[in-house]
Amino acid sequence: MRVLVVEDDRKTALFVRKALQTEGFATDVLGDGDALLETVASSHFDVVVLDIMLPGRDGLSLVRQMRERGLETPVLLLTARGEVGERVEGLNAGADDYLGKPFALAELVARVRALGRRGGDTKAVVLRLSDLTLDTVSRLARRGGQAIDLAPREYRLLEFLLRSSGRICGRMEIVEAVWDYDFDPGTNLVDVYIMRLREKLDAGRKPKLLHTVRGIGYVMKEPA
Amino acid sequence: MTIRARLTLWYSAVLLVSLFVLGGGLYYEFVVERAHAGWTGHPGEPVSHEINEVLGLYALPAALITVFGGWWLTRKALAPISALTDATEKMSAKNLRERLPRTGNGDEVDRLSGVLNAMLGRLEASFAQEREFTLHASHELKTPLTVMRGQIETALGEEQLTASQRDLLAGHLEEIQRLAGIVDGLSLLAKADAGLLVLQREAVRFDELVRDITEDTRILALSAGISVELENCEEITVLGDRHRLRQMLLNLAQNAVKHNRAGGWIRYSLRRINREVRLEIANAGPGIPPEMIPRVFDRFFRADVAHGPNIEGSGLGLSIAKWIVTAHGGNIRLSSRANVETTVIVQLPVRTGRERYGSAATNPASRTA
Repeated sequence: MRVLVVEDDRKTALFVRKALQTEGFATDVLGDGDALLETVASSHFDVVVLDIMLPGRDGLSLVRQMRERGLETPVLLLTARGEVGERVEGLNAGADDYLGKPFALAELVARVRALGRRGGDTKAVVLRLSDLTLDTVSRLARRGGQAIDLAPREYRLLEFLLRSSGRICGRMEIVEAVWDYDFDPGTNLVDVYIMRLREKLDAGRKPKLLHTVRGIGYVMKEPA
Repeated sequence: MTIRARLTLWYSAVLLVSLFVLGGGLYYEFVVERAHAGWTGHPGEPVSHEINEVLGLYALPAALITVFGGWWLTRKALAPISALTDATEKMSAKNLRERLPRTGNGDEVDRLSGVLNAMLGRLEASFAQEREFTLHASHELKTPLTVMRGQIETALGEEQLTASQRDLLAGHLEEIQRLAGIVDGLSLLAKADAGLLVLQREAVRFDELVRDITEDTRILALSAGISVELENCEEITVLGDRHRLRQMLLNLAQNAVKHNRAGGWIRYSLRRINREVRLEIANAGPGIPPEMIPRVFDRFFRADVAHGPNIEGSGLGLSIAKWIVTAHGGNIRLSSRANVETTVIVQLPVRTGRERYGSAATNPASRTA
């Protein structure tokens, strides 16, 4: 997978590139937005990571120009976090995802990976993983035929993780999707919910399906 | 014309009128009546009687004219001052853009208004400067915070770190996240002060948000053995910004958990009273001394000095909650009984107009059904 990072702060660009390269993504860096359109038009990139505050340039207008020219490369916008309204604005301009600064590196990697394999999102009514099924109509979860009782929030969490199963989900990503927050709640809410969900799903059963990826987030998958 | 000149002139006029009344009376009693008595041959009234008559019939009205005329004049002269007082009283950091009314006639009050307006202008400028500063500061702080966080996370990924190095870095990471939280809060409030935040106005099922936060509070309070109850939760729709309302509820929930005792309780109650939503969040906290209650919504205010700076959080949670409630046209307050309970009360206007849920929710029959 090939990623283009557009970031004017040299140090930020450096560690972002390093993190993406460690994940095995080929990563190019642009220090400003001037050459963005030509670069994306002339060579193939799977994902563009774009800082919204570029010197003399507004990241939003760049996304808009990309889309007007028919360049459909997924864009992840980086912006100062907690800037209410910027998220909506960014998504309206044609960006695909949004991450506020300061972000967790792992979160960035997780989202870049998600964007890179976009389109795989399942619309299935019954989600399955190993012997776990989740019926999204009746909201019923079963494992090995045994019904699992879920609180509303636990259900939403499980549905989100199952819909992105096999992919590591970052904490902020989960908070946005399951809690509908556009800000960092600054608590261990997600971790505690995951713990309880894991108890209900995995306790005394094999294989374990809900895994913690230390310092990064969580993933649901069957062990290889 | 100055007020002094105006008062002198008007008061002279009033005195003149009352003198005319008195003088006219005297003239009538002593000149006209006596001449009349001389013509008709009637004996004249005794002088003492006539003096009484003059005092009763003319001096009293003349005195009344002087007193009430004076009262009316003073009131008229002072009216601009009370108007000025009222207008000045309404001034606060929130509406420094407004100016005091001026009469434009160049008198003392008008000059005073002018001087006060100039002062307001200077105040407005310095407030704006402070807001700008906070806004820029929080924006500028985010870049180094991003770099620090990214670099520490990268370093934590290195294999050859010792356990103590790892602990140190993890500690730094935690503090950076805390700092980022404070910067976020400050930038939100600075934007709000500058009027740069635009709230969405959509129909929001407030009861669903309250149900969600109750569930989350239960989870947050689990480790402290605090029980969480939802006493009432009527179906209520408000007009507002979903994300900000969630943020407000989370801030209040975190507060209720933080300032509680081990094994304590938290009670939520959401009701509709007339045209208002009333949310009460009570907890078994140690309480807040009455003299500190007005300050709990201040930025960085901490009521329990004993905990000092060790208690978690940014110190901005309640200020942000207050801003969100106020921006939705509601109000928030806190009441407390020492060592019994502390309650936060949020009042929001119910969504008006086409209310799809309203009537059904308040109908007791449909609730029990």
